[in-house]
Amino acid sequence: MAASTQLATLAWRNLWRNKLRTSIMLGAVVFGLVGVVAMIGFVAGLYSNMIQNAIAWQTSQLQIHNRHYLENPDIQDTLLQPKVITDLLATLPEVAAWSERFIAEGMVASARANRGIRINGVVPDQEVRVTPIAGAIVEGAWLDDQGRNPVLVSKKTAERLKLRLGSKIVLTFTDAQGDVAGAAFRVRGIFRTPSTNFDEGNLFVRHKDLAALAGLSGSHEIAVRLHEEDYRAFDTVLAVKTRLQAVSDPGNRIRDWQQIQPLLASILGQMGVSNAIIIGIYVVAMGFGIVNIMLMSVFERTREFGVLMAVGMQKHRVFTLILLESAWLGVCGGLLGLLAGYALMQLLGYTGIALGTMAEGLGAFGADTLFYPRVTASEYALIFVTVVAASLLAALYPARQILRKPPAEAMAEKH
Amino acid sequence: MTIQTHQLTKVYNADSDFPVQAVKPLDLTIAQGEFVAVMGPSGSGKTTLLNMLGGIDQPTGGDVTIDGQSLGKLSQRALIGFRRDHIGFIFQDYSLLPVLTALENVEFVMQLQGRPESECRQRAEQLLTEVGLKDHLNKVPAKLSGGQQQRVAVARALAPRPRFVMADEPTANLDAQSTAELLDIMQQLNETEGTTFIFSTHDPRVIKRARRVIVFEDGRLTEDRQQEPERAA
Repeated sequence: MAASTQLATLAWRNLWRNKLRTSIMLGAVVFGLVGVVAMIGFVAGLYSNMIQNAIAWQTSQLQIHNRHYLENPDIQDTLLQPKVITDLLATLPEVAAWSERFIAEGMVASARANRGIRINGVVPDQEVRVTPIAGAIVEGAWLDDQGRNPVLVSKKTAERLKLRLGSKIVLTFTDAQGDVAGAAFRVRGIFRTPSTNFDEGNLFVRHKDLAALAGLSGSHEIAVRLHEEDYRAFDTVLAVKTRLQAVSDPGNRIRDWQQIQPLLASILGQMGVSNAIIIGIYVVAMGFGIVNIMLMSVFERTREFGVLMAVGMQKHRVFTLILLESAWLGVCGGLLGLLAGYALMQLLGYTGIALGTMAEGLGAFGADTLFYPRVTASEYALIFVTVVAASLLAALYPARQILRKPPAEAMAEKH
Repeated sequence: MTIQTHQLTKVYNADSDFPVQAVKPLDLTIAQGEFVAVMGPSGSGKTTLLNMLGGIDQPTGGDVTIDGQSLGKLSQRALIGFRRDHIGFIFQDYSLLPVLTALENVEFVMQLQGRPESECRQRAEQLLTEVGLKDHLNKVPAKLSGGQQQRVAVARALAPRPRFVMADEPTANLDAQSTAELLDIMQQLNETEGTTFIFSTHDPRVIKRARRVIVFEDGRLTEDRQQEPERAA
C-alpha cells in the first residue's frame, strides 16, 4: 500500500471509530449546508427574478435614445436617423425584436382624480414581441388598430382613478410647441406587472395616436430584446451594443440594461457579497464544530499518536493523518450536504417558492409572487471547496498541539 | 550493533523545587543478540531507561550511542527514522492500532519504511504464523485476547527487522500461559533472528528466562548479572 493510500485509509477508519460522534458532526454539516444552499438559492432566485423581470418589463437588454432626451426629456428630442438603427437590428441574428416608443410625461385624469404618469406610445405588434405586457392584461384586451384612442392602464391606476373597462380618461402633456395637448382615451385593457412601481407610473397608448396628438413623428426610444435572455450573458449584450454604436448617429446614445438601471448591476454585486456572508458565517460555525470534534478525537488518542511517532512515523505524516481525518469529514459532509441541498433545489425549482404575504412588499422591487431558487454549479463548487478548506484549517490547531509533545510524553497520557 | 550509555541521566521537573532523578548517571553496554531483563520495583526508572535507550525520550544528561552513533546528535527526523529502521517496541498495553487488522498492524511499520507491498504482506504473514496467529490475520485487536494482541505487538516490533526490541513490561497484563507462550516466542526469535531483546519487568517468570539481569532501584543500577536462562517447558 502506498504511503498516501495508507494514510488515507487509516484516516478514514479513524474517522469512524466513534460512529455516533462522527454521525452527529456530519449531520450538523449536512443540515447546515442544506440551509446555506437554500439561502443562496433563495437570494439568487429572488434577485435573478427581480433582474430578469426588470429587463423583461422595463429596460430590455438595450435602449437607444437621443442624447438630449436623456439629459432633459423634451418631447422634441426624438431619435436621430432611427431607420439606420432599425435596418441594422433587422440583420443581427442576436436580436429577437425591438420596439419603437413615443413617450410623453403627462397627466391622466378621470372623473374622480388625476395623477402624473408616463404615457408610452407603442406600436402594438412590436411591443408584444419585446415585453410580456400583452400577457399581463388582467381585464380587457391588448392594443390593436381598432377603435379611437384606446389606452391600457394598470390595475393600480384603475383602482386609484376608479376606472373600469370602457371608462373615459383624459391624457394631457406638453406638445412640441410647448402648449398643453390633451385628448380623451377609453380604457381598452387593464394590466398588472410584477412591479407595483412600474404599474403606478405607466400607461400604454398607440404610438400613432400619441405622436399625432403631439404633432411629431419619430420615436423617443427603441428597446431591443435579444434571443439570449439570461442576464448573465452580458457579453452578447455588449457585442450588439458595439455593432449599433458603429452605425448610430452620434447624437443618439445606446445604453445596456446595467447602464439604464445601475441598481440592477449593484444587485448583482450584492448577490456575491451576500453569498460570501452566508457561506462565511456557516463555515466559521462549522469550523468551530470541527475544531471541537478534532480536539476531542485527537486528544483522546494522544497516547496512540505517541506510539505512532515511537514506532517510526514521521511528524509530517502524523500531521497529514490528522488533517486527512478532518478532510474526510469535510468531504463527506460537503458531498452529502450539497447532494441534499441539490435535491431541495430541484424540488423547489419545480414547485417554486410562493412569497405569500411578502409578495405585496416585494412587488415594489419587481419580484414575482412565485419565484424559483437557483444555485449555479460554480456556487456548489465554491461551497464544497470552502467546506473542505475550512475542515483542513480546523484540524491545524489540534494537529500542532499533538506534534508538540515528544513521543514519551504523549505515550504517558492516560486517555 | 551495540548500545552504550555514558553517564546517562534523567531528571524530571529539573527546574522545580522538587526534581525527580528517575535515572542516575549510568554507564551501560548491551551487545547485539543479548536477552536482557531490567528488573526493579515500580518507579525505579526502568521505563525511563528503556525510553531513553529506544530514543523516544531525551536524557537530561549523558548520552546513548548505538554503534558509535549518538542518538542525541541526530535530528528529530533522523531519530524517528532510526527508531523505525533499527528499534522495535513492545508496550505493556500492546498499543496496536485498533482500526487495523492484525496483519495490517504488522505491515504498518514496514510500509512506513517504504517496502514493497508484497514483501510487507509476506513477512507479516510469516511473523504472525510464527507467533501462532495464522488464523487471526484479519481480526482487529478488539477481537483478539490480551495474549493474542501482545503476540501481534511482538510481530509488529520484529517486522521491520530491528536490531533491538525494547519491551516495557510486556507480560504485565497476561496470564501465566500467555506469558509463557510469549516468552517462548521472544526467546526463539532472539535465537533465530539474532534480535537483541531488552525488557523491563518485575515478573519472576520473565526474569528466569533472561540471560542477563540488570537490577534497577531508585534510578540506580544495583546489580548486573549473567545467568543461565530457563528454557521453555
